[in-house]
Amino acid sequence: MADVSELIDRGIKAYVAGRVGEALRSFQQALERDPGNPKARSYLSLLGGGMPGGATAEPVPLPPPAAAPGHSPWDALPAAAEIIELELDPEGGLDLDAVAEKSDIRPLVPAKFAPGESPGGRDVEVWMQAARELFALGDFTGSLELIEKILQVDPDHREAREYLRQNEATLIAMYESKLGPLGGVPRLAIKPEEIMWLNLDHRAGFLLAQIDGFVDYEALFALSGLPRLDTARILANLIADGVITA
Amino acid sequence: MSASEPVIGIDLGTTNSVVATVQDGVPRVIPGRSGQLLTPSVVAFARNGKRLVGALAKRQAITNAEDTVFAAKRLIGRRWGSKEIEDARRVLPYRLVAGPEGHDVRVELGGRTLTVQEISAMVLAELRADAEAWLGQPVSRAVITVPAYFNDGQRHATKDAGRIAGLEVLRIINEPTSAALAYGFGKQIERKVVVFDLGGGTFDVSVLDIGKSVYDVVAVGGDTYLGGEDFDRRVMDWLTFGFAKENGGIDLRQDKMALQRLRDAAERAKCELSSLPSTAIHLPFLVGGGEGKSALHLDRQLSREKLEELTKDLVDRCIAVTERTLRDAGVRPSQVGEVLLVGGMTRMPRVQQAVREFFGREPCRGVHPEEVVALGAAIQAQALSAPHAGAEVLLLDVTPQNLGLMVVGGYFQTVIPRNTTVPTSQTHLFTTVQDNQTSVRIAVLQGASERAIENELLGEFVLDGIRPARRGEVEIEVTFEISADGIVGVSARDVATGLQQSISVTATSGLTEDEMRHILDEQIDELLERKQTAREFEARRDRVLALVREIEALGPEVHDALERTRFGKDAVLKAEGVLARARTAVEARDLAALAAEEEPLERTLQLFKGLAATARPGAR
Repeated sequence: MADVSELIDRGIKAYVAGRVGEALRSFQQALERDPGNPKARSYLSLLGGGMPGGATAEPVPLPPPAAAPGHSPWDALPAAAEIIELELDPEGGLDLDAVAEKSDIRPLVPAKFAPGESPGGRDVEVWMQAARELFALGDFTGSLELIEKILQVDPDHREAREYLRQNEATLIAMYESKLGPLGGVPRLAIKPEEIMWLNLDHRAGFLLAQIDGFVDYEALFALSGLPRLDTARILANLIADGVITA
Repeated sequence: MSASEPVIGIDLGTTNSVVATVQDGVPRVIPGRSGQLLTPSVVAFARNGKRLVGALAKRQAITNAEDTVFAAKRLIGRRWGSKEIEDARRVLPYRLVAGPEGHDVRVELGGRTLTVQEISAMVLAELRADAEAWLGQPVSRAVITVPAYFNDGQRHATKDAGRIAGLEVLRIINEPTSAALAYGFGKQIERKVVVFDLGGGTFDVSVLDIGKSVYDVVAVGGDTYLGGEDFDRRVMDWLTFGFAKENGGIDLRQDKMALQRLRDAAERAKCELSSLPSTAIHLPFLVGGGEGKSALHLDRQLSREKLEELTKDLVDRCIAVTERTLRDAGVRPSQVGEVLLVGGMTRMPRVQQAVREFFGREPCRGVHPEEVVALGAAIQAQALSAPHAGAEVLLLDVTPQNLGLMVVGGYFQTVIPRNTTVPTSQTHLFTTVQDNQTSVRIAVLQGASERAIENELLGEFVLDGIRPARRGEVEIEVTFEISADGIVGVSARDVATGLQQSISVTATSGLTEDEMRHILDEQIDELLERKQTAREFEARRDRVLALVREIEALGPEVHDALERTRFGKDAVLKAEGVLARARTAVEARDLAALAAEEEPLERTLQLFKGLAATARPGAR
């Protein structure tokens, strides 16, 4: 049986995919199992869904202030000068969630806009909330999709812009870490005649056509003409699918 | 520069460039650092901010058309507003602008405005770096080739490009002369030679008289918009229309990525068909198939016969130009002792057949069409750097264009016709066109048009103080001289009074000496900046590597501590991510990335120290 956090995750993903009914059901199931869960309550409230016992949703605790530009949330470990008080959980292990809270592990953007700054619109706020959650859950792609949706409606949305940058930086770092050193030269791992049997889009087809056993990753980023994130994602997928070797 | 420092010859082409040297008396082409013999004359600023030169720049030329400069040779030394520049502006995807004085041409690239000389210098610098890597020592002197029809300004601009690339240009020589030099290397030849040069973007045909080590270009002709790229385009069009027919009208030309792959494939197929009767063009996942549909593949078989059918008119044009050039030179095909095929396109069997049919003889097979010009330049460079080492090769060059002045009605009067061997001197008599005319304006021009305005103005001066007389009575003697260095001197003298005025026209590349100095200074600044950056990088790298080592040393203790927690893997993964990025930044010599990783590393270290402390005995 799915636990509460999985149900919340499922709900967010369903919402991202536009399956609002499914999202509502997931949040409601989460609340049934953990009636006091603030995240599930908050989402239900945002989606306009009823809560057991007619309770009023409390907002989800919002992330701390923004990290300095250029930092991935993964990197935002405790400041060098800070002394960390590590808390042991009842089972005797380290509670890294507590460490994370203390160590500013998920520093994002200001929680609330000043009056007048808010992009407005119920949808945008719901998307933003979901994007924050997905980000916190480590689903950067899902978060990015929502952020892009928000920016289509409100290109100047400050928090969305900050999340966009954070998501992209994180995803690029994740995908690039799959590639190995950027000076490495990828090679085709399958026979050329087998390429036809893959399931690629034309952008992946273009990148694959540039892999000739001489061009390194850094050059591929230059050649692709695509945003760095897209190039990194395609290359990482090609490696994961065994089409190319790092 | 040491006496033993090698010298190089560079064929700076419109489409591709080649560098060569003479080693142990043998001329040889220098391969690039990635092993290629030809370097595309393409410069780009990629979307990721990286400057690309050569093959990589070419491979993204369509997907990043606005920031990719190719065919800079068509622009070098040209004046803003000239017909050639207007033609180029219509077809080139990158932006051209006028220089500050409004005379020369500048290129907008990667957010900067650059002179054409700087663009060509980037290609030359790449070739120089290839040569230095291959030879294992510095190279600072070169001979560079240019088309025989290049005027003085274009030659001077090419020389400036060499200077910007850090090369002392020993001499600028004509491409056909260079090809003939390589052909005649080590041989005693006395015959008329035709150089049939079908390159990537241009077609040049030249007639040379070679006798006792004297290479005399007696005629040049050509078509500056006919070359291998036109052949590629025919194949691309054939593929595009075929694809549209089979796929409900999908136009590949609308998709830059598809077009880039199509161009690469067309060029590759064309080259393969020089040795094969047929070739397969296979481009999987070429273009999106539409909403919810899979990407489409292109699969076609191209035969040599089909390629010849598609490009027949282009080959015919080459022969027509050759015929006209020989006619101008008063040379019959049967008088030609040898035909040298130059340029990659001459590998095409149909081109060779057309040449064979026209001249009634087999073209020479002893020279490599893509390398021969650079090899000749290397031979000349060697001869100039060590004049006493071997037989002196005397190059007699000719004036590439008619040289003359403007006369009444705005017409151009030729004084020294094109193809005249330099140095030379010619004198013509002119007269006044108005009664009591006391001054006359001498506008010195270079070009092929009858209308003065369509030719290149080299300089002008006024001869005044002419004695008043009826029109036609005053005789003015105008003398044109061209020195061996290409400096044009023009003097005008009132025959009756002996009053004289003169002008010396030194070719300008469009760059003033101040601008040139500024560019060279900028390069020194960049070099210093690079040095400074290198020092900063090394300092940061040392700090980062020390942090990495310290974190890694704490690894076992942290591992022990995390064994007892539910979230251990997460923390390790995060730390590994930081370490991996730091190592990548070190490897890529990326200073910015390195700087960005320093603080996360510090934080990771502090976290690890805290975690490690809990794992030590007595910590709990």
